[in-house]
Amino acid sequence: MPTIAIVGASLTGASAAATLREEGFDGRVVLLGAEPQLPYDRPPLSKAYLRGGMPFEKTLLRQPEFYRERDIETRLGTRVVSVDPGKRTLELQGGERLEFDSVLIATGGRNRRFPIPGLDLPGVYDLRTVADADRIRDAVARGGRAVVVGMGFIGAEVAASIRQCGLEVTAIEPFKTPLYRALGEEIGRVVEGLHRDHGVELVLGDAVSAFEGNGRVERVVTRSGRRVECELAVFGLGIEPATELVAGTSVRTDNGIVVDEYCRTNVPGIFAAGDVANHYHPVCARQMRVEHWQNGVKQGAAAARSMLGRAQPYDEVHWFWSDQYDANIQYAGFHAAWDAVVVRGSLPTRKFMAFYMAEGRVESVVAINQGRDLRRALAIIKARVAVDPARLEDPNVDLRTLAPPETPP
Amino acid sequence: MARFVTVAKADSIQPGQMIKVEIDNLPVAVANVGGAFHAFDDTCTHEDCSLAEGELARTVVTCPCHFAEFDIRTGAVLAPPATVPLKVYPVRVQGNDLQVEF
Repeated sequence: MPTIAIVGASLTGASAAATLREEGFDGRVVLLGAEPQLPYDRPPLSKAYLRGGMPFEKTLLRQPEFYRERDIETRLGTRVVSVDPGKRTLELQGGERLEFDSVLIATGGRNRRFPIPGLDLPGVYDLRTVADADRIRDAVARGGRAVVVGMGFIGAEVAASIRQCGLEVTAIEPFKTPLYRALGEEIGRVVEGLHRDHGVELVLGDAVSAFEGNGRVERVVTRSGRRVECELAVFGLGIEPATELVAGTSVRTDNGIVVDEYCRTNVPGIFAAGDVANHYHPVCARQMRVEHWQNGVKQGAAAARSMLGRAQPYDEVHWFWSDQYDANIQYAGFHAAWDAVVVRGSLPTRKFMAFYMAEGRVESVVAINQGRDLRRALAIIKARVAVDPARLEDPNVDLRTLAPPETPP
Repeated sequence: MARFVTVAKADSIQPGQMIKVEIDNLPVAVANVGGAFHAFDDTCTHEDCSLAEGELARTVVTCPCHFAEFDIRTGAVLAPPATVPLKVYPVRVQGNDLQVEF
């Protein structure tokens, strides 16, 4: 009986396992996860779960019987140490070996840590797992002031959630605005306003030089010499892909595990998907690695079909959301650089879309509280054709009319 | 006890459109799909978002916040992140009165 192993009992791994069964695969499916829990949803960890309004059970992607009924073997709390591409075996923690016919690597990423003095002090947290979220929740429950280091998406969501729990929050961000690298200055200023209006103290253009305290964090010191007293600190400085499983093997890595549009690595029988996969995207005509929920679901499913020999090019328009206070922020597409930003709607009222343009084409779109229109813009991004900016910014123009009709293949 | 509540004039909802109404303080969405009406809880089962502000494509509603999808005839989840089905309600038209059984 053929065996498909999935390393990573995550959103991506669970999606792949479910898809294998939906597609009728009747061999052995083994889903291995380093964490002790069944696959759960990570987006709530920085939002509803962190604020304490959601029990863990509600974050489970599937109930236990889902795996039982589909004969998906779950091996939880089991770290996979290495893969042997020649013998097609995995070495598990403790020395056990697992033979496979094909394997999907969906190991995701790990939080980036920088050599900042005091980063290991008790009271300094980062967020990736439900165990991390529990630690932050406990600290938030004790009250006081929190410092959030890094105002990317995770930092911004954590700052919002802690503020919503009633704590004083100071956020420190080396760039000019929150989300600057992802969204640029103009939209970053809108997000800055969102946090200031909710009472977050923002320290921009400054970076942490040390976490200080006697046995526990008591203050954060910045490069400009500012000292912020605090009871807890959370840093969100991005992730790096967890590729160590294939270290020293012939599987090619470069900012993740390199795969083609069918989720295939350069080694037959070894596939990768999700945050760890640096994949070729046919619409953008380039390699890219993203850390998005939707990509986890869709690429996990695409990889499963590819493993069964039913591959179709994976060409989803990338998309993600972030909820901060009453703002539902969504982003679709992928921009590396842009030469113009076209705004539809109103920045001050935080109800708008912004189109990131390059050579007349829409590379990506960000929307705040405009999810319906953002969805209607996906076809414009996929079409890769020049669009009249005057029509994009006109709220009376139905965005569905701006993309050429899809031609059947 | 279930009873039919008049929520709108039937001709006030164009085909392909959704409106949001309130019945006993609960937001309910009513959609017109090619002349057939469907009523369902307006609040997405995933998080607190109004489905009437989302997208309707035939009998599929897409939540504007996180793109969960439901079949509005049955309430079945068609796309995550929602995992819990949507509650749906019988609808009838009496004259021009659109009524939801609640």
